[in-house]
Amino acid sequence: MKVTLPNLGNLTSIAGKALFSNLGHEVILPPPNTKRTLDLGVRYAPEYCCLPLKIVLGNFIEALEKGADTIITVGGWGPCRFGYYSEIQRMILKSLGYKFEMISMEAPRGNLIRMLNYINRLRDKRSLPSFIKALKLAWAKFGTIEELEKEALKARPRENIKGETSQVLKAGLSLIDNTNTIEEIEKIKQKTLCDFNEIIKTNKTKDVIKVKLVGEFYVALEPFVNHNIEEKLGYLGVEVERGVSARPWITSLLKFLRKDNIQEEIIEKAAKPYLAQSVGGEGQSTIGHIVLASEKGMDGAIQVIPFTCMPEVVAETINKKVSEDLDFPVLTLIYDEQTGEEGLVTRLDAFVDLLKMKKPERHPIKR
Amino acid sequence: MGNLKIGIPQALLYYEYFPLWKNFLEGLDAEVLISGPTTKEILDLGVKSAISEICFPVKVFYGHVMSLKDRVDYLFVPRMVCVEKSAYFCPKFLGLPDMIKSSLSSLPPLIEPTIDIRKSATNFKNSFLAVGKLFTNNSKKIYQSFHEAQRNLKLYLKSKENELDQKIISQQYNKKLPQRDLKNSLNIAILGHSYLIYDYFINLNLISKLKKAKVNVLTAEMVKKREIKRQLKKLNKPLFWTLSKKALGSAFYFLEKKVDGIIHLTSFECGEDSIIGEIIHQESQKYPSVAYTEFVFDEHTGEIGIDTRTEAFLDMIVRRKRYESNFA
Ligand code: SF4
Ligand code: SF4
Repeated sequence: MKVTLPNLGNLTSIAGKALFSNLGHEVILPPPNTKRTLDLGVRYAPEYCCLPLKIVLGNFIEALEKGADTIITVGGWGPCRFGYYSEIQRMILKSLGYKFEMISMEAPRGNLIRMLNYINRLRDKRSLPSFIKALKLAWAKFGTIEELEKEALKARPRENIKGETSQVLKAGLSLIDNTNTIEEIEKIKQKTLCDFNEIIKTNKTKDVIKVKLVGEFYVALEPFVNHNIEEKLGYLGVEVERGVSARPWITSLLKFLRKDNIQEEIIEKAAKPYLAQSVGGEGQSTIGHIVLASEKGMDGAIQVIPFTCMPEVVAETINKKVSEDLDFPVLTLIYDEQTGEEGLVTRLDAFVDLLKMKKPERHPIKR
Repeated sequence: MGNLKIGIPQALLYYEYFPLWKNFLEGLDAEVLISGPTTKEILDLGVKSAISEICFPVKVFYGHVMSLKDRVDYLFVPRMVCVEKSAYFCPKFLGLPDMIKSSLSSLPPLIEPTIDIRKSATNFKNSFLAVGKLFTNNSKKIYQSFHEAQRNLKLYLKSKENELDQKIISQQYNKKLPQRDLKNSLNIAILGHSYLIYDYFINLNLISKLKKAKVNVLTAEMVKKREIKRQLKKLNKPLFWTLSKKALGSAFYFLEKKVDGIIHLTSFECGEDSIIGEIIHQESQKYPSVAYTEFVFDEHTGEIGIDTRTEAFLDMIVRRKRYESNFA
């Protein structure tokens, strides 16, 4: 099988690739997201679909052009559109005449056989232990990537030479990409964390602005789509804390094996007074994270959402009230295919200025 | 307790459930005030008070809430989550009471039962019984009222199986509805969320216009549930939205029956519509004799635009039929 996956930051291109190539498949990654990816998606996807569907469709087209014959993607069961994405994409690609098979990883619902069948095909006659070994390695890469990216968010606003942090991160990630043992990954991780620490040490006492980044998961995690928001904020002297991770999504796939996560419960509890019900996607946790960030004494939050996103529009409506009640600034950024770099930079600048002005007022007893 | 005044906004799921809601509350001696058909003022209020990114029908709902809020003791805004296995309402219904409370000030208290049968099989009933407790301690009365109301809902749905809801249409247009004449008139199915189809202010009287043009209008309510279920088996992956299942299943049905045309009414920024619109579009390619089109509605949709498009659509069908019969 010539397998492909949608782009999602560094996660699929490193961890996803590791998983499937260790299972013995040829992995044909889509080229990095470009204007062409977006244009292809916009051309063939339904006009009012949300941006993630369009870009991922573009990924698939570009990967199929490169010779992939099996698409591995993710699915779900509502209530937001995400659950039906892969199916719509499959239909569109078929109608365009592409020949491929799509394997959509989702919690099995009534169709355990199909799921087992998929797993069997992906396992490609490998023994169970070697299958598990490949899973473990990919999981280790995945966890390390997220950890390093998060640490970079702390280092960046404190760096002396612009771009230093991103360079360290890039070097670390490329080493991880090229290694194939868990021990090596651990070593690379420690080394990279040390390097970040060096950067942080130089400006340890610097009083940076702290912002929580929340919103829809794909837009928050895919730098091409969000116009590198984390890096931009870092350069503005802002320490970003990510409220979005692909991790709960993956563990939710395994929910029938695992107990719920305590962290998620805390977030849900914080959201409850404002939004009593999960609304799919990250809607409820967006609210929860904002409440918690305010309690923790952070300076503000930024919510990134695709235009027409169902759960996040609910959250946006409610955020206004949360922000007012807690006197906690929240900026909502809405992305569609027309979102331009310039407008975004202006809005970020203005928001960060506001936070700087507000800082003494929010933390009056700072020593 | 005296007669409490309960407001029900005539928007969104009102069009699916009003016989149940209204009769239930009235059975408990509450005075029910319904905001009435959408008007220009209501629409403007809604557009002003909701955030601009939200879908059009939710804006309309906001308008109805605004027009009611100062005239009632309570507002009835149930949180509809799940009423059947493996399907939900869209995220906006899941968060509706919270959205209303967060963005509108000086509201009367909300009566907001959560309807979610995943919690228990009797959840639907129990949520209503709990609401009843607000009005009376007489459990028997609550029970009776609920059962009576449910019967009313069934009757209402039954009546729609044969003809479009006569009451809603004829209230406003006191003309006699044209009789069915399958031979000469065009059969056109109008599909989409009921809050678009039955809100004639929003859809700019589309249905009465079609009827005046001697079109035989068909709706999802006329398709048997069993049939919808059968049609949905055509999907490779089950759909998980209650409202859209009905629209999509009946679209497949009308395609298979080779009606003359299908008009899918959609709202700007509706998440469900963007998905099922694509599925209907793809499926319609298999039935070249059925004309398919989509009308998108929002606060800027103008009557002239819709009229022109309707006429063009009808003309195209007539032309096509003539062409076909020439070769037949
Ligand atoms: S969360 Fe929003 S953007 Fe993501 S799939 Fe759902 S509706 Fe689309
Ligand atoms: S189904 Fe569509 S129109 Fe209805 S509330 Fe949801 S997004 Fe809005």
